[in-house]
Amino acid sequence: MSIIPQLIINSVIAGSIYSLVALGFNLIFGTTKFFNLAHGVVATIGGYGTFAMLKMFDQNIYISIIFGIIVAAFFGWLSEKLIFKPMRKTKSSSTVLLVASLGLFTALQAIIAIIFTSQFKTLSISVAQTKVYEIFGGIITDVQIVIFFTVIFILLGLVLMMKYTKLGKAIKAISDDEEVAKIVGINTNKVIAKVFIIGSAIAGIAGIAIGFDTGIEPTMGMNILLKGVVAVIIGGVGSVSGGVVGAFLLAFIENFGIWKISGEWKDAIAFVVLLLFLIFRPRGIFNKKK
Amino acid sequence: MEYLIHLAILISIWSMLAVSLNLILGYTGLLSITHAAFFGLGAYATAISITVYDINFFVSIFMGILITGIISLLFGLILSRFKGDIYALASFGLNIIVFSIFLNWQDLTRGPLGIPGINRPEIFDFVFKNNLYFLILVAIFALLIYLLSEYIVKSSFGRVLQAIREKEEIIQVFGYKTQLFKLTIFVISACMASVAGSFFASYITFIDPSTFDLQESIFILAIVILGGLANNKGAFVGTVFLILLPEVLRFVGFPTDIAAQMRQVVYGLLLVGLMMYRPQGLLGKFKL
Repeated sequence: MSIIPQLIINSVIAGSIYSLVALGFNLIFGTTKFFNLAHGVVATIGGYGTFAMLKMFDQNIYISIIFGIIVAAFFGWLSEKLIFKPMRKTKSSSTVLLVASLGLFTALQAIIAIIFTSQFKTLSISVAQTKVYEIFGGIITDVQIVIFFTVIFILLGLVLMMKYTKLGKAIKAISDDEEVAKIVGINTNKVIAKVFIIGSAIAGIAGIAIGFDTGIEPTMGMNILLKGVVAVIIGGVGSVSGGVVGAFLLAFIENFGIWKISGEWKDAIAFVVLLLFLIFRPRGIFNKKK
Repeated sequence: MEYLIHLAILISIWSMLAVSLNLILGYTGLLSITHAAFFGLGAYATAISITVYDINFFVSIFMGILITGIISLLFGLILSRFKGDIYALASFGLNIIVFSIFLNWQDLTRGPLGIPGINRPEIFDFVFKNNLYFLILVAIFALLIYLLSEYIVKSSFGRVLQAIREKEEIIQVFGYKTQLFKLTIFVISACMASVAGSFFASYITFIDPSTFDLQESIFILAIVILGGLANNKGAFVGTVFLILLPEVLRFVGFPTDIAAQMRQVVYGLLLVGLMMYRPQGLLGKFKL
């Protein structure tokens, strides 16, 4: 039996999750022009929010998922409201915002570890209930199929939103030039707050998806975040579709990389790819303009 | 008493890390988040030299400096292509690659099992087995590194670094090869971190990769920013505060593992607060 179909399936699932993180990260970067490293822990919060509802309060799966998404979106919004917005007002440099987001990341991650302990936890009810399907000799679980279609759904939704709604157009305007956007009467702070809510909700979904697919632990945020960031840089910073392509490209490189080298090197592969891109193609595969 | 000596040793080791990172971050203005990688290179160099090749500790320090020097030169060359936030992200990546190597090159590093049985320093048949003697030794090295840093930043070389931080283009106009300056200070700083690593390995007598991950780099970053950018005394003050913090938390009744997490909460929030209200740190002279 050939291993290639399985590698393709694994890559597609990993790529789906990375692209969720990349999407939110890109939206936030586009409008605020700083690398929000706290974005990773927002995904963790989503996962743990669902975990708390599902396993600690015995709610049904749908309520738990919705709760996880709302908690993630809330924390994203709160970080913007309490930390990043005041800092933008005082004209802090993007580096200062980056360090602040790193601090927020560290603090929230530790708080999660204090509340839920550092142990690895899974969201799926039981392994026995997981249905498994076979496609061309590769194995895919029902959870993974749901993840894949959710991602497609979110992607389409975002593309439509960016193209046809007022909010989408305002986001684009702010990404191009915040000052001009302000002059033509766009309430930039309101739009940025919405971007944080949307981006964080999507990150929350990523965290929940990981929880159902494999499991959650407090330190997972950094890994998710970094994969998202690598995807964004491969695809071109600020380009929404580029981020998605970057995510899938990264997932394929990682999964096919460990075909020949052993699996533990996955992270190292991702960062070697990042460095190669930063050195030779710093604007990503699509972004040509200077 | 033994406990106080233990804390003083930790403070000495981490103040080497903080003072050396301050050279890059505070004085030259480069947001490098990969210091734990060099710390680890020194620690592994000493651990492997002593346990596998039976080399003297003091020679192993130089092995560490040599290896770290070469690798940091390579890293410095890679990083020299980047600026600002991308520089920070790329340095992140380098830390993770080095961490992966510690974790996965099992023939050399024993991976997650770590390397036990690292001997204490030994010179002319005198073994620094007693913690007090070890403290004196490590404090002398920490002081040397502190004085060397003071000397560097007060020299004409150090003034060029600070000029690069303020306005690189202008100093280039005067004919200074700024890349060379940045590369030199990066390698010097990395080698200092490697010395700290050598002492850490020899003091704890056991190392594993988890000490040298990205979180540790963030911790060292927090020390420097808290104490104050571009101020060596500040780096020391920051170290004392953040090393003693979990001990204080334990003292008021938090369990050990919670105290460690609480420290993360505190320095994380400190980073946020400082960035919002005082981006140069407590005693700092330079804003990020």
